[in-house]
Amino acid sequence: MEYKDYYQILGVERTASADDIKKAYRKLVRQYHPDVSKHKDATEKTKELNEAYEVLGDAEKRAAYDGLGQGRRHGQDFQPPPDWGQQYDFGGGGGGGSAEDIFADLFAHMGRGRGQRAGGMGGRGGGGFQMRGEDIHAAIAIDLRDAYQGATRTISLRAGQQEKTLSVNIPKGVTPGQQLRLAGQGHPGMGGAGAGDLYLEIQFNQDARYRVEGASVYQNVPVAPWEAALGASISVPTPSGAVEVTVPAGSQSGRKLRLKGRGIPSSTPGDLYLILEVVLPPATSERARELYEQMARDLAFNPRERIGA
Amino acid sequence: MQEMTIVSGVLLDDAALTLEELARACGVEQDWVVRRVQAGILGGQPAVQVTSWRFRSGDLLRARSLLRVERDFEANEDVAALVVDLSDEVRRLRARLHALGIE
Repeated sequence: MEYKDYYQILGVERTASADDIKKAYRKLVRQYHPDVSKHKDATEKTKELNEAYEVLGDAEKRAAYDGLGQGRRHGQDFQPPPDWGQQYDFGGGGGGGSAEDIFADLFAHMGRGRGQRAGGMGGRGGGGFQMRGEDIHAAIAIDLRDAYQGATRTISLRAGQQEKTLSVNIPKGVTPGQQLRLAGQGHPGMGGAGAGDLYLEIQFNQDARYRVEGASVYQNVPVAPWEAALGASISVPTPSGAVEVTVPAGSQSGRKLRLKGRGIPSSTPGDLYLILEVVLPPATSERARELYEQMARDLAFNPRERIGA
Repeated sequence: MQEMTIVSGVLLDDAALTLEELARACGVEQDWVVRRVQAGILGGQPAVQVTSWRFRSGDLLRARSLLRVERDFEANEDVAALVVDLSDEVRRLRARLHALGIE
């Protein structure tokens, strides 16, 4: 695995006080907040800062980290000492899986607030405390089509010291931000206590054709000027298949047509909004130019009336 | 060392979380949740019995975001709520800009 210099990530000296570490972390995490920062890798950077602070912000983990890292450089190949696992009560060393996460895992089971104690001292087998495994939070990205039809997606994650590959059923009707709870798929428990749960946040891949808000779906639909002006019956490909839609006469760009129940099929199905967008045929042919010129001559049309022209 | 399993989950909006489950999923004491529900910062229904409170996906996301801000900046709970609300609004507006082809 690769050694990570958490001090370098937070931009502080190894001798920095707990207070300086906190200050440095806060400043950087504010600067790289994905909602605020214009940096392309803001999300990645935030993750790295959180990982560094998770260790250096906790006295016990920091001490363990300092003990490991004497004289090492960021990115250097690194093996934890063989007695590492016994000392901190997690079996096995690294090996396999993605290098980045393993390094952070070295410290995951120490310090404040890790895991949850389950119902006091355990009875079975006598002695030792029981600790329910920690819940895992992760996100899974799907396409809008998957929300209409349901899907199966494969994800890889680390639970305890094991890399697990799960094939997850994505039920039909999910909306962005919804959480799928997979009981018992979190970190394993200790002393015979149960495993934690896995919470998967549903995220949607960006799709230039659609915008999703809750169970409502918005879709732009290009129409010809004559379809908008005269009204028309047009066929529109929607996430749930092609639909015949009536464009009312006298429509302008931006007009919204609501197709009830054709949004995401949640327990309360969402609606699909078609937003008309009038597109002009190019005036590249002789005939097209004639038609535009004729309109310009024959129609008393002032497109800038609204702005007082 | 790979192990392949096929699993089905429960959508949180079909089977909402109890107070105890929400607290556990966030790694906080139940009291942390109770105080924020009573202050109107987090979902749940302050008027009904605590034991019948139920939380949905949005509540879990929000609780974790609140917790993050409170811990990162030692922010008071109202400030954290304001930050999270503003963040949500920025994301919503960005999505609209994106749909309009502006960003």
